[in-house]
Amino acid sequence: MFSRFRSTTIRWALAIGCAFLLCIAVLFGFVYWQTTVYLTEHFDRLIERQAKTIAALPPGDWNGAVRERADPDRVASAGIFDTAGHRISGNIANLPSHLVPDGIAAGVTITRVDPDGQRAQLVRAVAVKLGYSEWLVVGRSIQEDDAFAKIIERALALSLLPALALAMLAGALLSKGARQRIEAWTALVGQIYAGNLQQRLPVIENDHPFDKLSAIINGMLDHIEELVGQLANVGNDVAHDLRTPLTRVRATLERARDNAQTVDELRGAADRAIVGLDQSLNVITALLRIAAIEHGRRTTEFGSVDLAEIVGTAVELYDPIADNRRIQLDTEFKDAVAIVGDRDLLFEAAANLIDNAIKFTPEGGKVSVAIFRSAGDVVLQVSDTGPGIGEAEREVVTQRFYRADKSRRAPGAGLGLSLVAAIVKLHGFRLDIRGGPGCIIEVICPTESLPR
Amino acid sequence: MSGEIASATNAVAAYRRLNNVVGSKQLESMPDRTMAKLLLIEDDDETAEEIVGELTHRGYTLVRAETGTHGLDLARTGEHDVLIVDRLLPGIDGLAIIESLRREQIRTPVLVLSALGALDERVRGLRAGGDDYLSKPFALVELVARIEALLRRPAVGRETRLRVGPLELDLIDRSATRGGRTLDLLPREFRLLEYMMRRPDQMVTRAMLFEDVWNYRFVPDSNLVDVHMGKLRHKVDAPGEEPLIHNVRGAGFILRTNV
Repeated sequence: MFSRFRSTTIRWALAIGCAFLLCIAVLFGFVYWQTTVYLTEHFDRLIERQAKTIAALPPGDWNGAVRERADPDRVASAGIFDTAGHRISGNIANLPSHLVPDGIAAGVTITRVDPDGQRAQLVRAVAVKLGYSEWLVVGRSIQEDDAFAKIIERALALSLLPALALAMLAGALLSKGARQRIEAWTALVGQIYAGNLQQRLPVIENDHPFDKLSAIINGMLDHIEELVGQLANVGNDVAHDLRTPLTRVRATLERARDNAQTVDELRGAADRAIVGLDQSLNVITALLRIAAIEHGRRTTEFGSVDLAEIVGTAVELYDPIADNRRIQLDTEFKDAVAIVGDRDLLFEAAANLIDNAIKFTPEGGKVSVAIFRSAGDVVLQVSDTGPGIGEAEREVVTQRFYRADKSRRAPGAGLGLSLVAAIVKLHGFRLDIRGGPGCIIEVICPTESLPR
Repeated sequence: MSGEIASATNAVAAYRRLNNVVGSKQLESMPDRTMAKLLLIEDDDETAEEIVGELTHRGYTLVRAETGTHGLDLARTGEHDVLIVDRLLPGIDGLAIIESLRREQIRTPVLVLSALGALDERVRGLRAGGDDYLSKPFALVELVARIEALLRRPAVGRETRLRVGPLELDLIDRSATRGGRTLDLLPREFRLLEYMMRRPDQMVTRAMLFEDVWNYRFVPDSNLVDVHMGKLRHKVDAPGEEPLIHNVRGAGFILRTNV
């Protein structure tokens, strides 16, 4: 682990160093280019001015002025040529081709005549006409600029090593900082993995990317801690809800084995046992279903469905049950309401809401099922005249197995609302539980889920 | 030592005797069936034994294949009346078997068994060409009822009247009579009775009724369907009349004609 961090540090330092060097090289190149442009322009103006000055002299002073320019430094050059291009005076062997007598400097190659011989030289040169026939050429070597380039090159070479060292140092420091944080994280995450779920990652500055990541991971850990806590409770509740019917089944079978006189008695006991086992199986089926809905992405079966038809069927299904318990089951909707969802799951949610409302409403009470639009949302509302759900309990009723204590006597595994919650969540709807008189539960389907 | 073995043997024998008594009685309560040939493709020995035991006991001829490949070979003969195919098999997957059979134009009805909890599974099973889908764990009566239903699929007739025993349904007027007495049925009760009359003397389970009459996949509390059926029975079987709708304890309902 450590050596991996080490090599990461070195790689980082190298990468930062290289990037730094590249920047320096680009910078120097730019400086060099800009200086060359500046110097060329500067010398162009200079020779243009000199050519004008010489041309403005009386014709008798021309040759003298030209000779004066032909310096021994081999930088400046000048020449006067006749119309045929033959040299009259100066240190330029012949009239350079491509040169136009317009008084504007251009880059040409000339043959320079010095006391010790001739040589070609790259110059900036300007040509003007003297009177009607002769041409004056004034040039200036640009090879002199090479010296300047050498200075820049040397500066670059000299600064390169220290710059590289500095860059590597900066890189090492930066990556060391990151490494130290990651090592600290590794240690903390190790502790969390080992089971210390209360541990959290440090957040130093809120804006730093590392700290943002820490904050997200901390939020995730909060959620995991909560879920693990819930899981422990669910485990207890599952055990309890399974044990009760199973204990009954066991007692029934045991009694029948010891006491049954006839096959019919035995069969009666078996039937009772099957009912008990079915209850236990129902708990397991419901749990598996919730898990499947919560973890599944069953959006493939989503389509445009008529909520009114679905809820209407659910109401009709429960009508005889409500009737038997002398509960008035009212509906407040008529027209089709199209929403996007899974028909079977929405039916299950509606059925569970109605089932729940009927279960918790005392005889002679009333359950109302309504569908309406509110601020563009489609709302399915199930209200009853039962004992209601206390404010403190509203959050937890959708958790698995939670059942308000006062209604603990009502039959059912307490999974209905958690199933509804899972279905609602899968659809991207909202569940709202309010107290009225009694209890009001609303499934709010946002407009975005409506078909366009 | 030998005494223990003897008592264990006795216990097993006693259990078998008891089983036979119960079993033969159940057989009596079920309608007679021609010796239908079934093919079970199931890799799990325990499940297979249970199914084979129950179905042979009920008079079916059952062949079991342990692997998908073997099962597919047997199914290709086309000599079975119903195939019972496990969804997850080593080698060839259950759905793949159904798909290749349907491609080869073998239309034997298929009941898919699956332990997969995923919600889409049923849809996938039916889309692949399965005719019914049962998720594990299931009650054996549910399996038997569904096999019966596959064996005796109601003819999709264009008839306008249904007659079973003294019962008569007019599918156009949506009116029902029993021996001349008009039955005042709610729309859902009418559909419930129609479903039963299309399957006379055949057991229908609550889940089947729910799927086909209410048209929703849902596992309702068992008494939910019972309450509806109770209301229907109350109207169909008036006091003093021979009851037609019978409750099969722990399983479902039968509309009996041989009264």
